[in-house]
Amino acid sequence: MKTASSAQPLPGDFAIWVFIFAELLVFGVLFSAYALSRMSNAGLFDASQATLNRSYGLVNTLTLVTSSYFVARATRAIRHGRSAACGRWLGGALALGALFLAVKLLEFHDDFSRGITLSTNLFYMFYLSLTFFHFMHVVLGMVILGFVAYRTYAGAYDANRYTGVETGASYWHMVDLVWIILFALIYVLH
Amino acid sequence: MSSIENRPAGSVAEPQGFLPKPCTAAWAALIGLALFTYRLGAYGSGRLLMGAALCLTLLKGQLVVDYFMGLRSVRPFWRIAMAAYLIVVGGVIAVAYLSA
Repeated sequence: MKTASSAQPLPGDFAIWVFIFAELLVFGVLFSAYALSRMSNAGLFDASQATLNRSYGLVNTLTLVTSSYFVARATRAIRHGRSAACGRWLGGALALGALFLAVKLLEFHDDFSRGITLSTNLFYMFYLSLTFFHFMHVVLGMVILGFVAYRTYAGAYDANRYTGVETGASYWHMVDLVWIILFALIYVLH
Repeated sequence: MSSIENRPAGSVAEPQGFLPKPCTAAWAALIGLALFTYRLGAYGSGRLLMGAALCLTLLKGQLVVDYFMGLRSVRPFWRIAMAAYLIVVGGVIAVAYLSA
């Protein structure tokens, strides 16, 4: 059992954790709103969910989880002073982030081609809103990771200075965590 | 404000070696659990199946919190706060689905 004296400091800057918990609170409210709205519209939600291509959701889950793993490896690398390895892991994570966005855009294109819009019904309103809101968080996360990668290649981080890497990594893991719940809620549970 | 700038090199109590075994194992588990959750959704509906899928989702979330975010080795408060978040959100979803 860990004791307080053996505990490590919170990774990254404390401010990012305030931001992360605020973001999680917002997503938590939206997830709850989706689930509570389904209570009186279960048939509609299940029928509409069945029209989604769940393979897109699975591919994006595998992509984002692996991207998050790459970021965890980048964090570990810089903690041990391997800045070149850190940069490579971050580059891989960014590439997977781009793949996530590409798959999601393809899915949106398919949806819009079938005439699905925010006003089609309550399920699609939640589906499009939640996934687009998360999409924008992936974009922001990629901007943050890109900045961290640039600073890594510029030599700003080493084994003694890596708060920036941990801060960016923590945000990216939050984006991954939210998607894991979103995937189950939108694509799996019925 | 937590700051680890100028923390002595090697002060992070993690396993040495090229492969961080817990992190890699967590990634493998997350991939496996994601595929299993997907199959559960394709298999059918029903409270048992959906309950299992929701529990697996919460487990995946805790794996991310513990091994990717690294909250397993910080003050327990933060890990408990994250676990509480997952339990509350999962609980609301479970109650809503059971009441539908």
